[in-house]
Amino acid sequence: MAREIYAYRCRLCDTMHYPFRMVCSGCKQNDFFEFDTVPLPKAGKLLTFTKVYNLPAQYEVATLGLGIVELENGMRMLGQLDIDEPAIGMPVQGTVEIVREEPYENFYGMVFRAA
Amino acid sequence: MSVDLEKILRPVDSPMEPYEPKYMLLASGEAVVVREVDRDEIPDLLKYVEPLLHVERDYYDVVASRVYAELLGHYQYRFQDQYVLAVQIDGELAAIVNGRQVNPKLGLSLHTLAFRRGLRVGAHAFAAKMEYHFDQLGHDEVLIVAESPIGFRRWMIEYKLEKRFEVPHELGGVPSWALTRELFDRARSSLVVGRRPVPPELLEKAQAAILPPSDPPTPALDPLAATRAKYDPTATALMIERWEMEGRSEDA
Amino acid sequence: MRDVYVAGIGITTFTRLEYALSEIASYASMMALKDAGVTEVDDVYVANMGGARVNHQTALASAVVDSLSLTPAGAAAIENGPASGGSAIKAGFQAVASGMDDIVLVAGAERMREVNNLEATDFVATLTHPIAEYIYGVTLPAHAAMFARLYMDKYGVTERHLAMVGVKNQNAALNNEWAHLQQEITLEGILDSPEAMTNNPYVAEPLRFFDACPVSDGGAALILVSKEKAQELGRPLIRISGVGQATDTHAVFEREDPTDLLAVRKAAADAFAMAGLTPEDVDVAELHDAFTILEIAESEEVGFFPKGEGHIALEKGETALGGKIPINVGGGLKGRGHPVGATGIAQAWEIVTQLRGDGGTRQVEDAKVGFTCNFGGFGNNVVCLTFVRED
Repeated sequence: MAREIYAYRCRLCDTMHYPFRMVCSGCKQNDFFEFDTVPLPKAGKLLTFTKVYNLPAQYEVATLGLGIVELENGMRMLGQLDIDEPAIGMPVQGTVEIVREEPYENFYGMVFRAA
Repeated sequence: MSVDLEKILRPVDSPMEPYEPKYMLLASGEAVVVREVDRDEIPDLLKYVEPLLHVERDYYDVVASRVYAELLGHYQYRFQDQYVLAVQIDGELAAIVNGRQVNPKLGLSLHTLAFRRGLRVGAHAFAAKMEYHFDQLGHDEVLIVAESPIGFRRWMIEYKLEKRFEVPHELGGVPSWALTRELFDRARSSLVVGRRPVPPELLEKAQAAILPPSDPPTPALDPLAATRAKYDPTATALMIERWEMEGRSEDA
Repeated sequence: MRDVYVAGIGITTFTRLEYALSEIASYASMMALKDAGVTEVDDVYVANMGGARVNHQTALASAVVDSLSLTPAGAAAIENGPASGGSAIKAGFQAVASGMDDIVLVAGAERMREVNNLEATDFVATLTHPIAEYIYGVTLPAHAAMFARLYMDKYGVTERHLAMVGVKNQNAALNNEWAHLQQEITLEGILDSPEAMTNNPYVAEPLRFFDACPVSDGGAALILVSKEKAQELGRPLIRISGVGQATDTHAVFEREDPTDLLAVRKAAADAFAMAGLTPEDVDVAELHDAFTILEIAESEEVGFFPKGEGHIALEKGETALGGKIPINVGGGLKGRGHPVGATGIAQAWEIVTQLRGDGGTRQVEDAKVGFTCNFGGFGNNVVCLTFVRED
């Protein structure tokens, strides 16, 4: 089963949030956790990107591709890029994979490839 | 009799093509020359390396003591097939790199010792050394180890060296890494820089003499400051040492 | 609200220091106390970001207040990422302005080089959003790089402009004995020559080695006092005339316009409004150039130049010493170094030095009004200050 990244929709005013916020930025009236989880769309277009050479200690690779993507529903997210020649505006498709490995724990996030 | 003994004790060097000097510009806009060093210039180098034996940070003391031994061995004809390259800025020594030939197809990188910091002189020098192994000496592979974490990050990860852990490197028997011709060719365009031939005035200045480095790494004021800071986080012992060195006393 | 004056300043060399974190903070504080001529204070604020994580030291202010024999004065450590210094100054300002305190010590320190570079990079990255950013391996240089790429695409800023800021600031540091970097660089060496790519490799495309500030240890401190105290101490009257702070979304991708730094814009506007000044009144400025692109962007957001024209002003030399609005004449973060907790205080230190006329070879002529911008997070928490000299 494919993994998802979730956005949070306020049950009172339908404002969508990613990442999670305790108080809805739209109405500010919600009760604790008064949100519905909505899977984020996986298709979008690349807004900006970089290739990082100086990585933090946990990464054993030489470089890491990162980018900010504007998803189909207008929301944006940061993801790793598995793209040889990224360009601003290029259509991308994401899958949820392991993006960071720590001892005894793996972290999942979106990895985007050229669509 | 002594002449016969020397014939036995002295290693026979294989024919190795002499290094062709090159030059490049540093971030500061200064020009550096990389050239091979003659045996009779080694005593000068020893003079400049010696103070670094007492610099207890960034593994300068370990690297300097090994470089000193290698240079001295080379000078006294007790080291086979070693080459020594000097990196000079306006005649002044900025770095020493050395290595040797194991066999006509295999090289071994010894050390990179930088006297000037902040300008990536070490990176240039290391790349020059690798170029020498592959392009001039005709090696297919070079064995490498790193004493310092800075070196490790730069070379093992940046160059993506292959592990050759079954081969103990002669610098303390630690597992070796290898730079293969294929890896080097892939990295060549981004890592190897420099131009040839060296303009005559630059080369002449460099060959005239190896001048002492003007701003080499020096030991801390307190000779044990680096190690002591690890065990004495309050630094009070350090401060008391310094006062004693300055000759301050308790009298009113 | 009372007026607040800076009566004393102190700073350590920014470099690799072998002293413990609390010693670094205390050293700079002692200099400031001596400069002001006081041995007692009402409150102590110590700015620091990494003490707990990198140096195994929490409750830093409690260590410092005792080390300086200032007990039983109140003391608190202030952590606000790279804007810790600015926040500590704001806290000290509020203490004196409210009438609650007459003398406050505000210090900032960081000892990042206790760990290696990879750990230091990771520690700074912890200020990013834990789920939406940190786990992806994003670093501050990565954020600055993505921001720079958008800026280059939208406003025509080039790698050359970035390099020009780097050269301007690193060379300016040669006039500052306390600065970390004391090495001249040239555009030819870092950009134009065939060797430039090795001299100046990519850190996170399109940002290169000389576009980023070094990792430094260091400390700085200020003594803030009421007007009566300042006159009593006979120190030059340098007043903090405006304080502004603003925040923005935590995750960088949630910013309204990814090329805007709204928190900078609002914090600067609030500071100027409080001071009754405009950007044109500023004689000397310290902007937060952790990455060269930030100096260009901030110079526009605080109001020195129209949006998208900061790089044009840079080309014309308007931001260099002797130009229309000298920025970072002491080296900025790029040349002076960036011990994270100390930076906000060091910026104030430089401005006060300039307004006192003690700038030596980097003195801005007849500086009367100074401005600082301390940029926390990646632009989501910014503190701006204005300083005026009262003759």
